[in-house]
Amino acid sequence: MATDTDVLVLGGGSTGCGIARDLAMRGLEVTLVERGNLTDGTTGRMHGLLHSGGRYAVSDRASATECIEENEILREIAGHCVEMTGGLFVQRPEDSDEYFREKLEGCRACDIPARVLSGREAREREPYLASDIERAISVPDGAVDPFRLCVANAIDAENHGARIETHAEVIDLLREGEDVYGVRVRHDSGPGKRVHQSPGSTEAITAEYVVNATGAWAGQIGAMADLDVAVRPSKGVMTIMNVRQVDTVINRCRPKGDADIIVPHETTAILGTTDEEVTDPDDYPEAEWEVDMMIDTLSDLVPILEDARTIRSFWGVRPLYEPPETGTRDPTDITRDFFLIDHEDRDGVTGVSSIVGGKFTTYRAMAEEISDHVCEKLGVTAHCSTADRPLPGSENIAALEEGMDRFGLRSPVARRSTKRLGSRSREVLETDDPNPVICACEGVTRAEVRDAVSQSGSDLNAVRIRTRASMGNCQGGFCCVGMANELHPDHDEATARAALDELFQERWKGQRHALWGEQLSQAMLNYALHATTMNRDYDPARSEADRDVRPGAIGSGSTAADLEYDAFDQGDR
Amino acid sequence: MAIEDDVLVVGGGIAGATAALAALETDPDARVRLVTHRQSTLRHASGLIDVLGYTPAGEGPLADPFDALEALPTGHPYERVGTDAVREALAFFDRVVDGAYEGGHTDRNALVPTYGGTVKPTARYPASTAPGLASDTRETLLVGFETLPDFDAPLAARHLEAAGVPFDARGVTLSFPGIRRDDAKITRYAHLLDRDEVVDADSGERSARDALAASVDTHLEDESRVGFPAILGDDRVETVREELAEALGVDVFEVPMGPPSLPGMRLEGLLYDALEDAGVRLTSGVPVVDYETTAETAGGTTDRIDHVVVDRNGAEVPHRADQYVLATGGLVGKGVDSNRERVYEPIFDCHVSHPADRYDWFVDDVFGDQPYARFGLEVDRDLRPLAADGVPEFSNLSAAGAVLGGYDFAAEKSGSGVSLATGYVAGTRAAEVGGR
Amino acid sequence: MSDAEQPIDGGAPDEGDDEFEPIQVFPEAEEMDLRPGADDCYKCSTCDTNCPVAAVDDEFPGPKFQGPEQWRLKRQDDHDIDDSVMKCSNCMRCDSACPSSVPLSQMHNTARGEYVEQTMSKLSREYLRNRMLANYRRFAPLGATFPRTANFVLGLSITKWLGEKTLGITSERELPAFATETFREWWEKRGGNAASKRRAQDAREKRGGNAASKRRAQDAREKRGDNAASKRRGESNQPSEDKRIAYFHGCYSNYNTPEVGKALVRVYERFGYEVLVPDQHCSGTPMFANGMLEDARRAAETNVAELADAIENGADIIASCSSCSMSIRQEYPELFDFEGTEDVSANTWDAVEYLRVHEDLEAELEGTSVGAEFDDFVYHAPCHSRNQGLNGQTIEVMDAIDGIDVHDVGDSCSGISGTYGWKAENYETSMKIGEEMFEHMADADARTGLTECPTCSMQMEHGTGYEITHTLEVLEAALVGDSSETDG
Repeated sequence: MATDTDVLVLGGGSTGCGIARDLAMRGLEVTLVERGNLTDGTTGRMHGLLHSGGRYAVSDRASATECIEENEILREIAGHCVEMTGGLFVQRPEDSDEYFREKLEGCRACDIPARVLSGREAREREPYLASDIERAISVPDGAVDPFRLCVANAIDAENHGARIETHAEVIDLLREGEDVYGVRVRHDSGPGKRVHQSPGSTEAITAEYVVNATGAWAGQIGAMADLDVAVRPSKGVMTIMNVRQVDTVINRCRPKGDADIIVPHETTAILGTTDEEVTDPDDYPEAEWEVDMMIDTLSDLVPILEDARTIRSFWGVRPLYEPPETGTRDPTDITRDFFLIDHEDRDGVTGVSSIVGGKFTTYRAMAEEISDHVCEKLGVTAHCSTADRPLPGSENIAALEEGMDRFGLRSPVARRSTKRLGSRSREVLETDDPNPVICACEGVTRAEVRDAVSQSGSDLNAVRIRTRASMGNCQGGFCCVGMANELHPDHDEATARAALDELFQERWKGQRHALWGEQLSQAMLNYALHATTMNRDYDPARSEADRDVRPGAIGSGSTAADLEYDAFDQGDR
Repeated sequence: MAIEDDVLVVGGGIAGATAALAALETDPDARVRLVTHRQSTLRHASGLIDVLGYTPAGEGPLADPFDALEALPTGHPYERVGTDAVREALAFFDRVVDGAYEGGHTDRNALVPTYGGTVKPTARYPASTAPGLASDTRETLLVGFETLPDFDAPLAARHLEAAGVPFDARGVTLSFPGIRRDDAKITRYAHLLDRDEVVDADSGERSARDALAASVDTHLEDESRVGFPAILGDDRVETVREELAEALGVDVFEVPMGPPSLPGMRLEGLLYDALEDAGVRLTSGVPVVDYETTAETAGGTTDRIDHVVVDRNGAEVPHRADQYVLATGGLVGKGVDSNRERVYEPIFDCHVSHPADRYDWFVDDVFGDQPYARFGLEVDRDLRPLAADGVPEFSNLSAAGAVLGGYDFAAEKSGSGVSLATGYVAGTRAAEVGGR
Repeated sequence: MSDAEQPIDGGAPDEGDDEFEPIQVFPEAEEMDLRPGADDCYKCSTCDTNCPVAAVDDEFPGPKFQGPEQWRLKRQDDHDIDDSVMKCSNCMRCDSACPSSVPLSQMHNTARGEYVEQTMSKLSREYLRNRMLANYRRFAPLGATFPRTANFVLGLSITKWLGEKTLGITSERELPAFATETFREWWEKRGGNAASKRRAQDAREKRGGNAASKRRAQDAREKRGDNAASKRRGESNQPSEDKRIAYFHGCYSNYNTPEVGKALVRVYERFGYEVLVPDQHCSGTPMFANGMLEDARRAAETNVAELADAIENGADIIASCSSCSMSIRQEYPELFDFEGTEDVSANTWDAVEYLRVHEDLEAELEGTSVGAEFDDFVYHAPCHSRNQGLNGQTIEVMDAIDGIDVHDVGDSCSGISGTYGWKAENYETSMKIGEEMFEHMADADARTGLTECPTCSMQMEHGTGYEITHTLEVLEAALVGDSSETDG
């Protein structure tokens, strides 16, 4: 029976997108389905560290070696997603000398370039480090934008003929006897780019082979075809600071522990993290103590964090897995290695494998290994080329940096825009039309927003992850209306309005964890702007159907249908 | 030695300015000083005077706010001052702004188009907004500009229609003559028109107003009014509007914008002109950082403020008055501030009631019934801030405007009305009690 | 400072302590990295609405971009501050506008410093011109040595033409005339501090009879003593018997308008204050405005050391120029960290403000008058006065003098902003900014213009033809009368 596609990849995170790119480049027909936006799962909810391997240099040297190898490859193929900030493992007076020495030895054993800095040298590099930091090990850690990296993989897969279907939730894994042959998905708004308020549909997609790359959700997907995938999701908090207090990744040099890393990420710094096992990757407590712990504990390393502004916090769920019989209690003890479960070998069910565990930095190597496995299953002999071919946006990055074009933009806006767009800068930013800044916090112009809309349809959260628009200190308070305006007239008014509401609500979600001081003032200003000045909270254009905007005690005001305009002041003319 | 006055108002927004003006009106011989630190949130706000658009329970938009005022819950600032005070304050405002605002001919609210394309209920609106009322059935052309991305006129027009307005609306997006950079500030647009500068337009060098009218004219069809984003000048908006209207042969109005908001700046200008004319002594740009009390005589438990301390770039200058009015704003104006542990009033540390756990300061829906929106001071009927035990914090301090708690101005659309009414009452009372 | 004669009047302009590099207490990066300052910004753009340059010139993207946005977007290794920062006039209106206390002018000053350091060619005409304008104090002594020749040469159209063509200094403006006798020359001739001490003593004895005034001063001191808050900063430094101030005259009252300095001395002595005139460099304002932070640092270091000494000697620091007091009070602690910087900042006052707080100035002025030729003013509050909360002060004080009529021109900016309006490329913008003030001045139809800032007064005169005087000169006329006979 002819199938819709050779390989069906479930999950639009780094692993899924990496596999889709790899297989598409090998000439296979690939379809990827993702429940929400690309990166909506764990990939978009990590601290953005490009590991040097230093963090695993004591506990897991195999992982450490793999990290430094992939770290070097990503710098080559994904230069526009990576910032080589360097990293420091810093030792406080109460941290053990023994561990410091082990860390250094481990780095050297794994070929991770490592150098010891005195406390003073470390503070010269990062002036906001605490004055009692005793010494540090410098390693080639970096920062990576997981959104951009994931999207670039997906775009390249599409360029090689793949079908990438976001907002398509898997509602069934199709199994006949001992063979899995496809999935049924529910499209949020019809297949293709997302369009708000257009009707959804379901679709059965059949394939020669199905790859379950849904990470922490792999168990739920497996269960749809009675396959047991014992993933152990573990949550961790990330708290985002408004500015970069440090330009280097700062790790605490001590054995595993919570709140031990600060990653400078784009315009922000991300504090991480906790490690708590949860039962449901979609429903777990986002606890106040976790945020407080990030600030209080990491202030020991960088004291100005104590009074600095945080703009939001988010939680990610690690797709931890351990082979049966290991019996680890503490999730921090579970290996970060990945596992390929071939359900044919394990369960006697053909046509499907599940991928669990693993870490972002080595996504490409994982994708390569899985793709090799899939090719073997399908009898394909093509080889992997993902390590040699730059991602879209990363061609000739070094040359671009040298002769930086400003495209008529102010210099920091041009610098950030071209960093994001890499080799696509000219294609996107060179325009004769006015190109005002839409998001001033992150320096995102109209041309970049429109480019993102052309990629993803009316989903402003998809525009956000592509451009960083609305990810700055106002958290969309000022720019999300401008972003929605760019949807019109390609999309109609109701679509633009729905997309705006969705983005504004999403931005609020993370800010709730940062609601004191400056961010509470910001929240009140945003609220006043949207509710008082624009009256978006009682917008009569809302139909009865979408009146959940003010649930609970507060009513919802009149709708367009029952608002009697002539009862109001008609003017004194 | 201390700088001496009879009434000292801290804060220079609508509430503070109204309090100072009302104090002087009550006692023309009083020495009234207004101390303001940073600029007020007027520059963020739409410049409309909202009184009450929706009840706290969400009924509305209210065609007549006065009926609903009577039914507000105990502790709401309007309940504290009473409905008559709201009427008096509005009448006072109408006198102060002297024709620059309309809406005083009726008790009813007006519905004004917003730049997001919705309509909102308000009680007083600038003359420049008056021809744009949503109850007016005339066909409307909205004009936006390529370099002002906040206001998308075609989208706003569609949105208005979706909101059921009783007229046809259409939008066009033009380039603004004379603006060369995509990031020009709105004050630049206003200045070009205010000064009617000579600009390079498609049709050669001509004055900014002419050039703007000419570029709009080619897009005008059957519409009998044209709406612009509120950038039609600062000091001379009425002249600009009249000239545009004359050139186009239709009415011209502004859609309130912001922040930053020119209508807000103009209102600030009107209030400050009035302060100067009235003889209010103005000290701006410096914060009140501290205060000293004297124990109240006759065995009372309530302290009296003896003087406040103003920090002038390091020099701490005592300012003494009989009566003090606190009008420092809410969370945005920083009259109410917070940290991870608590919400507080930074100058006098007056009691701000709030849930102890900061995760109880909000609800999950962005437009839900947000507790943080109600943070502020509780007051008695003389507007004196109350301590946790219900006793006034100080015998000679009253509070007005957004520093007050117990109401959600954003949801109710009641911000400027509360500021006016409480400012008016606080200022009047300060002059009555403290009169010489 | 051991070389007491050197700083202000002595020697050739380039003979100085230029080689001296101050030891930095903190690493450079910590001082300069202002990204955390962006934390307070909530994007309301109030700063932009206060920017007089952005309103007339859309090439300037406004203070929000120049401050919190540019800094937040910056990386440590980005070395390309946007060149538009050089269009900022340093009026600092944004600073006191921000409802959220973003350190805007500090961010602008630092960005400008980085731009000049990293991007501007040190051989460019612009750099040389800016350096010269910023270091007015270094070439002014030459002019002051031969004032008549200098004034003649500067007034020649050929000189102005050369200035515009070679240096980019506008030929539209009259360069300020040098006084035939500098303030410091007058001060030395008059007998310096010793003479002032005598005069102050005499005045105190004379005022001793005025028990009420003495009691008032005493009361005020006691109140301040009670006030725990005042111990933090700005506490009066006056020993009760010994009223002493140190005058920071700045460059302009020394070389160009010594009458302002003389007025200050006479008014203060009239209240019984002994006046010190410490050695001093430029306050730094023109250097900040031109991104010459190293020049400013050198000048500030001398000033802080000298003024700290004066404070040690029981004096408070008094400035007659609003930009000088602004610089010492706000910019010094924001940008520098010499020993005593905070102390000097906390004990520096505007000349009129000090009298208002330490004496009952308004009561003293009751019943005084200044003569009909000199009692109708139009007043402009300089931006740098506004920043110090002094905008209403002159009007309030003048009200106490009989027969004086003062019209306030409102909150418009004069547009010259120190060296800004002198640059040929800014002249037109500067005049556009000033337009509103000119109109208000013309409408007021007064006799004399009044302000406390030397460059504002140049602009007021240039734009309207009014003769401009300083508030201290009016106070002198009211309180001292014509004392030129006794003073020489």
